Amino acid sequence: MKSENLSRLLLRASVAFLLANGAAGCASFDVNPWDRDLLARRSMQFNTHPLITAADEHIYFSKEGSSGGRAFGGGGCGCN
Amino acid sequence: MQLARGGGSVASALGLLSATLLGANSACAQESGAININDDTSTDLGKTRIDMSVLYYAEDGGRLKAIEPVASATLNASDGSTFNVRLTSDTLTGATPNGAAPWIAPQTFITPIKTPDSETTTTSASGHSVIVTIPGTGVVASQYTAPANSLPLDYGFKDQRYAIDLGYSKLLAPDLRGSFGGAFSTERDYRSISFYGGVEKELFQKRTTLSASANIEFDQSKPKIGIPVPLSPMSGLLKGPNQNKTVIGGVIGVTEVVNRFWLAQLNYSADLSEGYQTDPYRIISVVDGGSGTPLQYLYESRPRSRFRQSVYAASKIAAGPTVADLSARVYKDDWGVKSFTGEIKERIPFGSAFYFEPRFRYYTQGKADFFKDYLLAGAPLPAFATSDSRLGKFSAKTIGAKIGVRLGGGEFYLKGDRYIQSGDQNPPGTIPGLAGENLFTGVSATSIIVGYSFAFY
Repeated sequence: MKSENLSRLLLRASVAFLLANGAAGCASFDVNPWDRDLLARRSMQFNTHPLITAADEHIYFSKEGSSGGRAFGGGGCGCN
Repeated sequence: MQLARGGGSVASALGLLSATLLGANSACAQESGAININDDTSTDLGKTRIDMSVLYYAEDGGRLKAIEPVASATLNASDGSTFNVRLTSDTLTGATPNGAAPWIAPQTFITPIKTPDSETTTTSASGHSVIVTIPGTGVVASQYTAPANSLPLDYGFKDQRYAIDLGYSKLLAPDLRGSFGGAFSTERDYRSISFYGGVEKELFQKRTTLSASANIEFDQSKPKIGIPVPLSPMSGLLKGPNQNKTVIGGVIGVTEVVNRFWLAQLNYSADLSEGYQTDPYRIISVVDGGSGTPLQYLYESRPRSRFRQSVYAASKIAAGPTVADLSARVYKDDWGVKSFTGEIKERIPFGSAFYFEPRFRYYTQGKADFFKDYLLAGAPLPAFATSDSRLGKFSAKTIGAKIGVRLGGGEFYLKGDRYIQSGDQNPPGTIPGLAGENLFTGVSATSIIVGYSFAFY
């Protein structure tokens, strides 16, 4: 894949997500505090098990050519 | 207008009431256990949470093994501020590819050692290497031999890493949270220190959260054998002085309550690394263009600057009693690496005390511009060259599962994964002399992590 193609892909993915989120955001005006029972569950947190997430990110950082995205992109060890 | 205002106060009252009910529900969930473990809404506000885990990681073919115990404590004050400290220890042993291409005959490699009886990261009394004196020089070095038709492995890999991470966050206003922290890690041949700071702003009655953070990292590569000159011939002589690297990066993101069942997140991150980014132990074969005979081994060479960017999107969806976790990432850097990652997890509850969460992750990447399986003798030397499969073209699958059990007021968790990389054993254009060899050096590995987490006042 050429660099320009990937740049275009990144841009399109971002715009698509933002549009989807924007549309969803409009639809979400009725998500009031009393509608958030499900969202308040611990199981709905983005990072339910920080130590598992850290271990996974460390493994992938040391075995693959790319990292990060969720937060800062790996580092802190000489494994890559 | 009056009606509208009246509606507003009803909304406020209902909001307060629902918050109270949710609070009551969480207390109930804590004391008697939720009917469905996924429904647990207890919070850590005012509590201290302890989380401990041990990771066991093993690569196929006797390659790398790691054991990583971690302990974490998070103090959650009743005013919303949090302080976290995490301690990590890594023990690494085993074999790693040294970068040379396989060959139809055994290949012998030589590496420096600090003193004749010293143990370095690349050599040890593992039974795979011998101490030799280079004839006519008096230089003492370590020598090992890779069997014919097999991936040349350096069996002496051994390291111990210790790390500490600290983080603090505080509510600066009811809808604004600030955080900062740092990390320090040290191992035999590497040291890293980093700092970060960030803010999160909630908008539209907490439907939208905007976040921005930045970090800076200072690393030092300090192998006992020294740092070799890139693309110089492999030898038993000690190398040059330590080298440094600095990374400056940032992440901006938005989290959106899409509807009652769906939480979505989108991040853009970028970082710039400047300094030494070459693997000081890794070599690349220079081979005859016809027969593939290895004529020389050169230390690899990578650019001193790397700019990386990624877009990451994630969703959590409450699907009936289960919770789905979906994420995707696209990544590119100016070394020419482009990748896509997709992952799906589904957390399935079984009663109030147990859940099962299968997981699948797919990853694919293109190669760096300077990736080569080998160099050809007689051709002009490129400025940069590496045969590190992590910078080559491959894809990888992870299949695994996690279980969680409510136990003794906390949660016991266990996760097992099988990770398999796959790539082209003979990429197009491979010279005839190496057509019978497997040039793909990727890994397959099994990992297990077990842990226990609990909170107390």
